[in-house]
Amino acid sequence: MDLTPTPEQEQLVRSARAFLARACPPAHVRAMEADAPGFSAALWREIAGLGWPGMALPAQYGGGGLGFLDVALLLEEMGRVLLPSPFVATAVLGAPLVLAAGSEEQRRRWLPRLAAGDAIATLALVEPGWRDEWGAATARVHAGRVSGTKRFVPVAAAADLLLVAVENGGLVAVERGAPGVECARQATLDGGHVYEVRFADTPAEALPGPAGAALARARLHAAVAALAFSAGAAERVLEMTVEHAKTRVQFGRPIGGFQAVAHRCADMRSDLDALRWLVYQAAWALDAGRPGELEVGAAKAYGSDALRRLFMHAHQVHGAIGFSTEHDLQLFTRRAKATELAWGSATLHRERVARAMGL
Amino acid sequence: MDFAFTDEEEGFRAELRAFLAEELPAWWRGMFVDDPRALPFTRAFCAKLAARGWLTMAWPRAYGGQDASPWKQAILREEMWAHEEPRGPQYMNLNYIGPCVMRFGSEAQKRRFLPSMAAGAVVWTQGFSEPGAGSDLAAIATRAEERGDHFVVDGQKTWNSYADAPADWCFLLARTTPGAARHAGLSVLLVDMRTPGITVRPIGSMAGPHELNEIFFDGVRVPRDCLLGERDRGWEVVTAGLTFERVGVARYARAGRVLELLVEHVKRTGQAADPTVRQQLAELRVRCEAARLLNYRAISLQARGGVPRVEASIARLHNTQLEQAVGHAGLELLGLAGALTHDAPDTPLGGLVWRQWVRNIPSTIAAGTTEVQKNIIARHGLGLPPSS
Repeated sequence: MDLTPTPEQEQLVRSARAFLARACPPAHVRAMEADAPGFSAALWREIAGLGWPGMALPAQYGGGGLGFLDVALLLEEMGRVLLPSPFVATAVLGAPLVLAAGSEEQRRRWLPRLAAGDAIATLALVEPGWRDEWGAATARVHAGRVSGTKRFVPVAAAADLLLVAVENGGLVAVERGAPGVECARQATLDGGHVYEVRFADTPAEALPGPAGAALARARLHAAVAALAFSAGAAERVLEMTVEHAKTRVQFGRPIGGFQAVAHRCADMRSDLDALRWLVYQAAWALDAGRPGELEVGAAKAYGSDALRRLFMHAHQVHGAIGFSTEHDLQLFTRRAKATELAWGSATLHRERVARAMGL
Repeated sequence: MDFAFTDEEEGFRAELRAFLAEELPAWWRGMFVDDPRALPFTRAFCAKLAARGWLTMAWPRAYGGQDASPWKQAILREEMWAHEEPRGPQYMNLNYIGPCVMRFGSEAQKRRFLPSMAAGAVVWTQGFSEPGAGSDLAAIATRAEERGDHFVVDGQKTWNSYADAPADWCFLLARTTPGAARHAGLSVLLVDMRTPGITVRPIGSMAGPHELNEIFFDGVRVPRDCLLGERDRGWEVVTAGLTFERVGVARYARAGRVLELLVEHVKRTGQAADPTVRQQLAELRVRCEAARLLNYRAISLQARGGVPRVEASIARLHNTQLEQAVGHAGLELLGLAGALTHDAPDTPLGGLVWRQWVRNIPSTIAAGTTEVQKNIIARHGLGLPPSS
């Protein structure tokens, strides 16, 4: 037991923070909300140069052989600056699915390109009417062709490889440029780039491995990844909130000198620390090959509720300015709400925890 | 980062559990119950722990300990708290009074006070709060006037657990230099409770006997060699002591144990299928996990030689609020039967949940209120100005 990051992890965090502070100012985040495909290809090349897309893949496929906990630490840094990128779609969803469910030939064909950042992958999972990511896929596969409608597919318009969850717990791959694919951006509260993707008799290649188990695992990784990103974002928002409380003067003194305000800030620190270590534990549990239902469930149940509390405190302390679009707080708030809704609500994960408790 | 205990540590936990199963009598309900067997039992139990080297396992070898890893200490605390703390009053000696003597005491004081703590043979009480000084501890008025080779103590302390046990010694905070800046003129004295001029008056508590007392000091002579640390630097001693105390209590482990028993209870009663019950119990489990990890984070810092001040306050906030939540939710799950105390026949879980509720009403008050903890976090963790 030791809950302190290793020197290597600290180094990863330090260098990522320095790079991202320069590469991704708030103006870039704002610009990418409007621009297709939602991220800068030039910046993605730079990120690929740092080895991030393949950091958790085995060395034999061009990866860095690090763990998911390292990925989570990196995601916190991306969250601090709200980095718009295809990182989660490629490195947390796409590549691990190919690794877990692809044939050896498919792995060799796709993983080195994904690891190098030369290709972007994503997962097409959710179907119309699903309330969460745990629905049963009905997209149909017939004679090497897939048909069906998928929603909330991240960075679909830029993806070179679409992994599509299909009927009977299967997974198929659709490559960029395949006929019969229609992509339409969905307007969401976080300004993210997610798409409705319609497949009509689209040529698709089955992943022959244990796709159902791989998808179950991918949901857990995705939940932890979203939380890690939001924990980093919340850390930045806490800094902004404390700075505001120190400098905003009312009744002749900084408002942070009033207990009512100071205690909201203390509550943010306390909630955020719990969230961070629950996230680290969940990532560690997935690295260790544990079922993860309890650890990930605890992180997401706590995290979804804590993000609500954190961001409402941040708004309350900031006052009216925090609601204005001129201020950066709203960029963070909208993304935190998206995290809360994605990959299982607090209620869904509490039920999973209940089962893990033997209830 | 590593979130697992080693096989050796897990083995130690199993050994402790077997020991507890053997040693804890069926009637054991923890301290503060109206049972004359409780206090003598804790003394005998501590002597057995001492014989196995487990009582002061955490202490350095030089002071009769084993230099046990912080994680073995954590496991010991968890198992003790999960079983209603059979060390009784002595957990305080081990957690912070002993460590404060090691850190601030003279060699002679270490030789004098530590062996009796290590043998499990002594009860200490803490003399901090006063009628006019609770959260504002630096406002204490109890005087200790230096007169050559001794101090003369006059004043009143309150909320002193175990003073009526009777306690053998008092870890007393008193004002040695009146008129000095609030935190500057305070000192810690180690006071023999048999000294003439000391009167203990028990105060009834909602939990039961021994929890609350007041102590009156009337011209009490305390030899100068019972001054711990430097004169007028007592605030440092107390601050270090409270930090040891905040991390040193595995409150989440007790809450977790009550939760486990509640899970078994709802499985027996058929409530386990109720989605609301499942959500409630899972929420408590999640909060338990958060509290445990925040304790472990503070311990990780200690293990590397740091002093987790803000981290200790954060852990304490989570722990105490969890304890209360488990008591409230547990009683709601039991329904009307939750109102039965342990003396009534047919009391669910032997009154454990009732005790969890009632004992934890003051958890967010003792050793620094929730508000004091938040002030520490805001000021020392976030750099906000002093609050008012």
